[in-house]
Amino acid sequence: MESKYEFEEKYREQILKCSRCGFCQAVCPVYGATLRPALNARGKMLLLKEVMDGKIGLDDQLIETLFQCTTCANCFHNCPSGVDVPEIIKAVRQDMVRAGSCHPAFEGMNEVLEKHTNIYAEDEPEDFERVRNRKAEYVYFIGCVGSYREDEPTMAALDLLDRLKVDYTLIDEVCCSGVLEDVGFSIKEHLAEKNMALILETGAGTVITGCPYCFRTFNDKLQYSRLREAGVKVVHITQFLQDFGFGVKTDKRVTYHDPCDLGRHCGIYEEPRNTIRKIATDFVEMPDNRENALCCGAGGGVRGAYAKNSIAMARRRLEQVEEVGAEIVLTECNSCVHNLANAKLRRQKFRVYSTTEFINELMEEAE
Amino acid sequence: MEIEGYNMPDDLYYEENHFWVKEEGDLLIMGMDDFAQALAGEIVYVQLPDDGKRLKLGKKFAKIESGKWLGKVYAPVNGELVGVNEELETNPGLINDDCYGKGWMYKIRPDDKGELENLMKGREAVEKWLLAEIEKYAEE
Repeated sequence: MESKYEFEEKYREQILKCSRCGFCQAVCPVYGATLRPALNARGKMLLLKEVMDGKIGLDDQLIETLFQCTTCANCFHNCPSGVDVPEIIKAVRQDMVRAGSCHPAFEGMNEVLEKHTNIYAEDEPEDFERVRNRKAEYVYFIGCVGSYREDEPTMAALDLLDRLKVDYTLIDEVCCSGVLEDVGFSIKEHLAEKNMALILETGAGTVITGCPYCFRTFNDKLQYSRLREAGVKVVHITQFLQDFGFGVKTDKRVTYHDPCDLGRHCGIYEEPRNTIRKIATDFVEMPDNRENALCCGAGGGVRGAYAKNSIAMARRRLEQVEEVGAEIVLTECNSCVHNLANAKLRRQKFRVYSTTEFINELMEEAE
Repeated sequence: MEIEGYNMPDDLYYEENHFWVKEEGDLLIMGMDDFAQALAGEIVYVQLPDDGKRLKLGKKFAKIESGKWLGKVYAPVNGELVGVNEELETNPGLINDDCYGKGWMYKIRPDDKGELENLMKGREAVEKWLLAEIEKYAEE
């Protein structure tokens, strides 16, 4: 019998495979911060079974549970039954939007990106004191968070690229809009076309981005296939930097937070560490690292829609920074920097940086 | 006083970016006004810099965020930051609940209290300013 929901067509078997073991509870950042079973993967699968059995509908009462997930994939990574919870949730969200039930923050985001160039509906980006859209070997694509919420790490990344004499240009970029696919909507074709046209116009062979989300969107999504077909490579800045020498070191104790979008979603764990080990003599790992990294709580739109819980999740991650006695926590995702920096308590004396910002600061001090 | 539904106490000084200032002995207390907190929506983060930070008149010294907005906090006078409302660290929503009381934000030791005269005070000045602000944001 055909289901009325696409998620059921695609994922019924997986949902039924959930053995309710609760392994996911141990690693779910939302459950960890709220202790609410409905907000954890097991709870979600139980609810979706009720939906498939026709006992409850996909309606507003399920918004909180189905839209409050960072899609960090830690549940999937630890699931003995192999239930791909993030993919199921993204599919359910699409069904919910079709049924007219969606978190207002994401409906708002979808509308904003119809009319604006970024998720914050801001009209004026920082100019970062650099000319845009010139011919160059590389394009540096900042992303919305780096442009409008974390301008200092972005400026530092650009200063670092200048110190390394990289021939790059900024463009009049617009939101990659990849996040919309994760929250029930679709990538905006007109925004993708604009980004691709601007990139191709520069003649650049490679796009470097500091945003893992944009990195995934450009590399994986159909709407950006023209870029790939044109032979333009897209790399994350951690991949780009690992071949450079910086000539600076710190003896401060440094740790690294794996962003979910770079780590579990893309498998990029060692490149950032290769770079950090060049500049840090005392590098330590947090207990949950690499594919086991605890999510900072910002992803999947959760920082926008559930800010209090999002920051609570970040606070839990920062407890691990304290546990290992790190003075510096580095990461290479502006959303992680933003959420971790906001969550850091005043009494916590460690500092949160993007790796590029920290390296740039060391080089500046050495001058 | 109430202006178009917004509570704007008469005895406070107001800075043009919608922060209020009042004297407390030698120090100044600073916070966000009712109009701004209503416009911003639920505050989710307030930056609380370390004590001792030098403040330069007109220069940004902290950030504040709601779900839809990132705002800058500008120093109303030259001076030094000598205290912050640490309650805001875990409960930034106090700014929305009680922006003139429990939601106070910063304590400042001014270099020269006379600089307060640069700020707006009194019914006439504040009303004129706020009405213009209400119109400006209504258009946006």
